[in-house]
Amino acid sequence: MSASPEPLVFAVPKGRILDEALPIIEAAGIVPEPDFGDEGSRKLKFATNLPHVSLIRVRAFDVATFVAFGAAHIGIAGNDVLMEFDYADIYAPLDLGIGKCRLSIAQETKAGDTLDLDRLSHVRIATKYPHITSKWFAERGIQAECVKLNGAMELAPSLGLSPRIVDLVSTGSTLRANGLKEVQTLVEISSRLIVNRTALKVRSAEIGGWIEKFRSAVGASQNAA
Amino acid sequence: MSDTSKTLLPEGLRDLLPPEAAVEAEVIHTLTQSFGANGYALVKPPLAEFEDTLLAGVGQVLRDRIFRMPDPVSHRSLGFRADVTTQVARIATTRLASQPRPLRLMYAGQVLRVRGDQLEPERQFTQAGIELIGAETGAADAEVILATTEALEAVGVKNLTVDLALPTLVPAILKGHGVDANDRLRTALAHKDVAELKAAGGAAGELLCALVAASGEFATARERIGKLNLPADAKAEWDALSAVGDAVRAAAPNLGLTVDAVESRGFEYHTGITFSIFAKGIQREIGRGGRYRLQHSEDRFEHATGATLVVDNLLSAVPAAKELKRLWVPSDTPRATVRKWQADGWTLVAGLKAGETAANEARRLDCTHYLERGEAVQVRN
Repeated sequence: MSASPEPLVFAVPKGRILDEALPIIEAAGIVPEPDFGDEGSRKLKFATNLPHVSLIRVRAFDVATFVAFGAAHIGIAGNDVLMEFDYADIYAPLDLGIGKCRLSIAQETKAGDTLDLDRLSHVRIATKYPHITSKWFAERGIQAECVKLNGAMELAPSLGLSPRIVDLVSTGSTLRANGLKEVQTLVEISSRLIVNRTALKVRSAEIGGWIEKFRSAVGASQNAA
Repeated sequence: MSDTSKTLLPEGLRDLLPPEAAVEAEVIHTLTQSFGANGYALVKPPLAEFEDTLLAGVGQVLRDRIFRMPDPVSHRSLGFRADVTTQVARIATTRLASQPRPLRLMYAGQVLRVRGDQLEPERQFTQAGIELIGAETGAADAEVILATTEALEAVGVKNLTVDLALPTLVPAILKGHGVDANDRLRTALAHKDVAELKAAGGAAGELLCALVAASGEFATARERIGKLNLPADAKAEWDALSAVGDAVRAAAPNLGLTVDAVESRGFEYHTGITFSIFAKGIQREIGRGGRYRLQHSEDRFEHATGATLVVDNLLSAVPAAKELKRLWVPSDTPRATVRKWQADGWTLVAGLKAGETAANEARRLDCTHYLERGEAVQVRN
């Protein structure tokens, strides 16, 4: 199956997740060209040991977009990204167990340790995740006005942009360094292997084969740990 | 009014120009001919009807998708169709209620919806489809699937895959395990997110994950799912799907056939086997359909199976039409001569003024040939 002449594009996120993902990708039998691990490389598309398989290295949110439109067939994305976009054409058949963190609400330490929502009809939140955030608050009967930021959310409360933020938290050290405190977890996050729905249907044996290879690779790495 | 304000169309709406518009017309013609050869008769419901008839029965799922406007004549609310199936269902249970069953109907037409999404931004598209009404057998399901894939092949769409699903399977499993479907579980099912399924699926979590893992190519999925310990109701549903899959496989050995055991999105009104159709090289789903129930009255219903093709999505896979023989003829050409060439398969473009230079006019108007002394002369570029 893997000898299929049809090109297969695998989208992986830049940055933090990549270091954790690379051993799994290699254990599944895809060895990227040496440039791939070099964050300084200007290349965006990389060859692998398999002539028909190429890797693209893009922003985490863009992995989901490439896969949803079928421009990439397989990818790695956190469930934060999947929930934010809620694309109908992405399936997440495998939890890779990497990139673990949580999506949380944080506020200034001086605002107290708890998120008190009882009297609120409206909140203003700075976040990269307006969809998840407004949905979470709406379920609690509160209208969330989200200020969309692409980074440095931690600045928002101290500069008066919004009293609270919703962001990914792993150790909490960035929050502490900026005088913020995590007060509520919205959802636990980990990275998933994602596939394009159409690719999974029309190339079912091949894509199914890759899911199995990744499943074994994840099993092996978790047993080793 | 500036020029750009004349060209801008509302989001999700577009003009189809030559030659694409002609390709679409040709595709619809071929599809309806192919359906017709299987005994399906054309019906043509209107573009708009009273909102309450449009949304009755299986139409309820369209509640959030239709454009509405007040009818100045009747002072009632009109709805524009977002799907033709529900209109055919209305016809089958009213005007054609006394026709002998099984009743085979087909349609082709435009539908509107209030919004698209990022993946499919169109708000108007062309549907063509069939409905087989009043038959409860697996043979009816198989016929609809085969009639649809054969019509697609007639149009020239190659390497088709039919993905079978059973939207009633998961509810039967949840019921069997006493698990309530909640939002988190539905989202997990929609995205085949195994990690979330395990967490949100409760007692049924393991089985749902096994169903996701077992989904895929039909023969393999059939074997794997056959071994799972399904609740009795779910087992019966699954056996019915297997039988339809076997029938399709036997009739069309080269058709791609897969199973998605937990798929239910977009199949809100279906009560049995459903299917989605894909083709290699086309990113979007090109058709879908399945088994549903037609409500005649409070206590009387009948079974039906239908299929709908999204014509817009398959145009890119239709092979380019063979080069037209396009002949320019001078303005004084007798109609009898024009008709003679047309009968031989030529497209004729007639000059409208005396004294035009044939070669120049033919080239300017994109003709392949011009008429000179009774002969077709090829245009040189």
